[in-house]
Amino acid sequence: MGVAHGEVKAEAPHMGGINEAGCGRGPRIGVYVCHCGLNIAATVDVARVRDAVAGLPGVVVARDNKYTCSEVGQKTIADDIKNLNLDRVVIASCSPRLHERTFRELMARSGLNPFLLEMANIREQCSWVHGHDREAATRKAVALTRAAIARAALLEPLERNVGSVTKSAMVIGGGVAGISAALYLANMGVKTYLVEREPSIGGHMAMLDKTFPTLDCSLCILSPKMVEVRENSNIELLSYTEVRKVEGQVGSFKVELLRKPRYIDEAKCVACGLCAEKCPSKAPDEFNRGYSERKAIYIPFPQAIPASYVIDPNYCRYFTRGGKCRVCEKICERGAVDFSQREEIVTLDVGAIVIATGFEPYDASRKTQYGYGRFPNVITSLDFERIICADGPTHGKLKRPSDWEIPRRIAFIQCVGSRDEHETDGAGKYCSRVCCMITAKQAFMVKEKYPDAEVYVYHTDMRTAGKGFEEFYQRGRSEGIVFVRGKPGEIVENPEDHSLRVVAEDADSGCILDLTFDMVVLAIGLRPPGGLVELAQKLNVSRSADGFLLEGHPKLRPAETSIEGIYLAGCAQFPKDIPDSVAQAGCAAAAAAGVLASDRIEMDPLNPVVDEELCIGCRLCEKLCPYGGIKVEKTDKGFKARVIELACKGCGVCGAACSARAIKMRHYSDEQIYAQTAALLEVG
Amino acid sequence: MDIVITDLDPRFKHEVAKEEGGERVKYCFQCGTCTSGCPVSEIDSKYNPRCIIRMVILGMREQVLRSDFIWLCSTCYTCYERCPQDVRITEVMNALKNMAVREGYIHPAFRAQAELIGSHGRLYEIDEFTEEKREELGLARLSGDIAEVAEIFKITGLAELLSEASQEPVRTASA
Ligand SMILES: Cc1cc2nc3c(=O)[nH]c(=O)nc-3n(C[C@H](O)[C@H](O)[C@H](O)COP(=O)(O)OP(=O)(O)OC[C@H]3O[C@@H](n4cnc5c(N)ncnc54)[C@H](O)[C@@H]3O)c2cc1C
Repeated sequence: MGVAHGEVKAEAPHMGGINEAGCGRGPRIGVYVCHCGLNIAATVDVARVRDAVAGLPGVVVARDNKYTCSEVGQKTIADDIKNLNLDRVVIASCSPRLHERTFRELMARSGLNPFLLEMANIREQCSWVHGHDREAATRKAVALTRAAIARAALLEPLERNVGSVTKSAMVIGGGVAGISAALYLANMGVKTYLVEREPSIGGHMAMLDKTFPTLDCSLCILSPKMVEVRENSNIELLSYTEVRKVEGQVGSFKVELLRKPRYIDEAKCVACGLCAEKCPSKAPDEFNRGYSERKAIYIPFPQAIPASYVIDPNYCRYFTRGGKCRVCEKICERGAVDFSQREEIVTLDVGAIVIATGFEPYDASRKTQYGYGRFPNVITSLDFERIICADGPTHGKLKRPSDWEIPRRIAFIQCVGSRDEHETDGAGKYCSRVCCMITAKQAFMVKEKYPDAEVYVYHTDMRTAGKGFEEFYQRGRSEGIVFVRGKPGEIVENPEDHSLRVVAEDADSGCILDLTFDMVVLAIGLRPPGGLVELAQKLNVSRSADGFLLEGHPKLRPAETSIEGIYLAGCAQFPKDIPDSVAQAGCAAAAAAGVLASDRIEMDPLNPVVDEELCIGCRLCEKLCPYGGIKVEKTDKGFKARVIELACKGCGVCGAACSARAIKMRHYSDEQIYAQTAALLEVG
Repeated sequence: MDIVITDLDPRFKHEVAKEEGGERVKYCFQCGTCTSGCPVSEIDSKYNPRCIIRMVILGMREQVLRSDFIWLCSTCYTCYERCPQDVRITEVMNALKNMAVREGYIHPAFRAQAELIGSHGRLYEIDEFTEEKREELGLARLSGDIAEVAEIFKITGLAELLSEASQEPVRTASA
């Protein structure tokens, strides 16, 4: 790599000279071009960037530093501000997302308004993406830096908005991650609302039989936590509830929730079950993955919290046959059945939000070559959990669905819907991380129940990274489970006895294995849950290419989002196992509690301002604003636009669209952007 | 078969990836979905797409391009549809065949086919029986004029390839 180190002395910062002449009474700008070690300097000729901007109008000093963010780098800037009377600073370095705050704080410490800083991103936007073209990368870096200087000259000092802090939090999603986050917050003294869209909390963990690698009974360890949620006076559980709308920002979110009617008064129901006994209508039991039936009035599972029944209007005769039946209402001694319940809107004020919406199992029927949904004895890993569970459709006996006989030969197929380029929409390319261990666990459980069973696992790579995981995999091998490195192309069913023929190449022996099984378990991947796209839009948080929610920083802000005051826990961020979900929940709770601990919150002054003299009340801004952040109202001067600070996210759509030029973005004025653009075009 | 590092050509996989059809060869993670569903492998284990791609990745240039097994793919596209890494194996085989031809290897069966087209304009000779049947159906006789075909062979460079590619692929016992 051609590194510009010959020209640059290692230690002291270098400068392109102090230029007092060009700066009469105008702005006094200091420009700092960062090497970022070799991150920038290996590709961009940093000295050339420095020299190219040194003589520009307003630039008093231009230097390059090895690491501008280091103590030495920062001190150079602080000294220049003092000694050269700088009033504006331009830093050409990495993305402002990383160090804007660092440099703004430096400016504040040096007595300058922090909004007089402008950054040019010559790392992510130059060196990292144009690594093969030093000349072009350098020219682009010069252009971006010149543009930053042009904007900097027009920056105006701004004061931060100060907001109050509502000392409460909302957790969305009541799986093990959401439950844990709520308990952590509540135990730190934070009033916490736990919002779950299903009738009970528990999420997927409630459906599992045993958990790897210790094989403890899933509900035995989860249900005490669920009870704790109910008992904790700091937690208010809102089950069967969805988020409709979120406004505001860190410290003061306004949330609108939609509570779905249970048609049961939660406070009165004691879950005695008499109603379900008498209920005449049956429905497939989702909790048992459709392998058994429940009644139209039901409780999802015995340990459900809230421990209250719920009526499914899709099957209940009262709803399907126009007000008839009402057997449950008659039988309930406590009068808990209430057909008059309607959807209800609830509003909350919270200072912070944790998203813990988990995952959705991959729809295995999409892989038609494996016949899920067509061949009864092809099941998924989640089906397996229910079929082997004591509370499941076979009361703990592992049986195959076609005839409910005990299977003697069982195959597992890995990576169904994971590591798969055919899964469009970008999702599905990733490794779902938990399926290898899930299969190792399930294969082991088969052997535990039926030591004579023949168990084959078809995989691409067995990935068992985790505490106690490799040991568990080893134990599986010692039990006689055969791990085959090779993925079957298809499953062919014998329609007579519903046995399943699986052909695969065993790469290790080079043989084609042509085997027949009584049952095949597909290790399905974990996908973003339904509704996540809409929820992300409501909360304005970003998603990554895999469809899950994007963390604040892949290493250093794993439980944060791009929006301050909104945090992530569990599989909502990416597939993970229970211990990792709980750990991230703790991290999210700690971050949220940190925000809630302060009394006031400072926010960037990104809201637009409306010049009422110019506003003609045309309502274009109101129509375009995606957040309901600007509304036209009647005043004594006619109809005028008014910014609703709580809802505004500072995106600038209104400012760009306003035909009367009445809306000014405070930190991104037209003049600033024009100057920046002109400078970019000039360099070419 | 022992392989020493000097036998391997580390550039081979990149060359294949640059060839039309070979673009995604380096994504292969050796899961074997292709081989497990391959109708040719089922009959003749010498043809093993997973193994051929492995040999490409390892850089076994000569062994791949001189082999006769790359010519066995029946282009049914089953592997193409199922490959989780979208390696487009059928197209990779085409890429390998094109490279082999450029290096002078043409499978005798393919040479015979090309020569048939060269001499008859089609893969089989039109006999008098066919011509009579056509006449009965009111169809024109098929002219035996192959001048046009010869011209196509010349323009596309096929004629030259056929005369240059003199070497025959090496028969392999097993891939
Ligand atoms: C077959 C199988 C076996 C497994 N076995 C093990 C094991 O043995 N050991 C182990 O450590 N891990 C195991 N896992 C992984 C484990 O299930 C997850 O780590 C865990 O469930 C993640 O918890 P969560 O709270 O993030 O997500 P979830 O369990 O998915 O919970 C999310 C909750 O959020 C709710 N929700 C979703 N969207 C919304 C919304 N918009 N509004 C309100 N609520 C919403 C859902 O209804 C759900 O209750 C297994 C997974 C599978 C599929």
